[in-house]
Amino acid sequence: MLKTICIVLLMSISSQAIVESQIQKVMDKKVHQVLNILKNKSLSQKQKEKKSTLVMDSVFDYATMSKISLGKKWKTLSATEKKQFTNAFEKKIKHSYIDKLRLYNNQKVKIMALKKPKNTRITLENEIIGKTDTYKVLYLFYKKKKTSQWYIYDVKLAGVSIIQTYRKQFTSFLKTKSFKELVNSL
Amino acid sequence: MLHLDYIIIVVQSRNIYFRGVSIKPIFIFFIIVLSFQGCSNKQPEVMIKETILQGKISDKNVSSSDEFSDEFEDEFSDDFTDETKSHYNPFDAYNLLMTSINDDMIIHVINPISKVYDATLPQQVRIGISNAIHNIKFPIRFTNNLLQGKFQNVSEELGRFLINSTFGLAGFMDPAKEYKGLLPHDEDFGQTLGFYDVEPGYHIVLPFLGPSNVRDLVGIAVDAYASPLVNVRGLENYKIPQNFVQSAGVYTGYIINENSLKLGQYESLKKDALGLYPFLRDIYEQKRVTEIEE
Repeated sequence: MLKTICIVLLMSISSQAIVESQIQKVMDKKVHQVLNILKNKSLSQKQKEKKSTLVMDSVFDYATMSKISLGKKWKTLSATEKKQFTNAFEKKIKHSYIDKLRLYNNQKVKIMALKKPKNTRITLENEIIGKTDTYKVLYLFYKKKKTSQWYIYDVKLAGVSIIQTYRKQFTSFLKTKSFKELVNSL
Repeated sequence: MLHLDYIIIVVQSRNIYFRGVSIKPIFIFFIIVLSFQGCSNKQPEVMIKETILQGKISDKNVSSSDEFSDEFEDEFSDDFTDETKSHYNPFDAYNLLMTSINDDMIIHVINPISKVYDATLPQQVRIGISNAIHNIKFPIRFTNNLLQGKFQNVSEELGRFLINSTFGLAGFMDPAKEYKGLLPHDEDFGQTLGFYDVEPGYHIVLPFLGPSNVRDLVGIAVDAYASPLVNVRGLENYKIPQNFVQSAGVYTGYIINENSLKLGQYESLKKDALGLYPFLRDIYEQKRVTEIEE
């Protein structure tokens, strides 16, 4: 019985998103967890990626990221195409995010202040203190209306929005090529 | 992460005009290097159970996403822009070609040299050299913070320069950051122009060194006056290099040194690109907007 309760508790903790008051604390823990995984020399790169993405999965809203990155094109897609794209884009985003963190895995990370530009938006700044430079990583959260939980919908690295960059690329790509080609290119 | 630096070597003086304003020290040879940082990753020794590590692409995301479908466009339309119009840029064909040349240069020339340099010189020494060069370029940051009226930054930059030039052994160390918590405030004349609402103008990819635009090109030329590392005719007493060859030598060394501390970053960034030129152009312009806003 105790075992069952423990499992249920653990499952609920790992799958939950973040409430507003916990954003800094949870993100601090998650970012350091990921950095520790990336520093672990006993793991292969593939293992590091899998473990790291598991840590971040509950706060990254890949589906919303996929929608935003496709812009108006999203609404024209069938349910199957949406699923296809979301799966491909989720893989791409995970790999890209972990690959960037991998490059800084020997650096210090400082969680900075949280800002709330409007009721449904929160930004959390991280500073990665590198060998010679300090890089800013900004996590952008939105509040899911039905549950009042917060999810990441974009990450800005040194002032560059990952999702905005993809959105521009996808818009441009789809002017001359098909949706199928886009999914394959991911 | 994109890091941009440049070399400017004034070959001769000639007047050019930018929006009716004559700019004197021109005919410059630019090298801008996109330098990226890497790290070594050791190979695995221990296998971990697949079942524990498995990070499946869950269908829940897709289904739960339908909850947002109606509110989706309205919800995020203010946060993201669509590039529906293609802006005419007379340099596009040239930029495309130059991006490809620069890419070859980074992959086949700069990175291999940087890797040898990385293996030859201890990291601490290379960080020291990077710190010292950053310290010498203090007049650019000081002047541009002043021009933008950022007086707190001006004072901190001055403090950093004094502390690091003395206790930091001519800038090789950074005690101002380590012990006083004084961080650098990188500002250049391109940012100063942006601060006063000068538009970036056409995007231009510079030989060897990558993305820029008309505004930043003017900024680079003006900053050449303030930088002690760029030879400008008539200002030899203030400059470290006394001629073109010396300037080229100083900056080539600087570029290789910086790149050796950032190996792997360029390759990582390239993986995100569907087309290299528009990708590098967009992230450069986004980065500059953020730098100007800050």
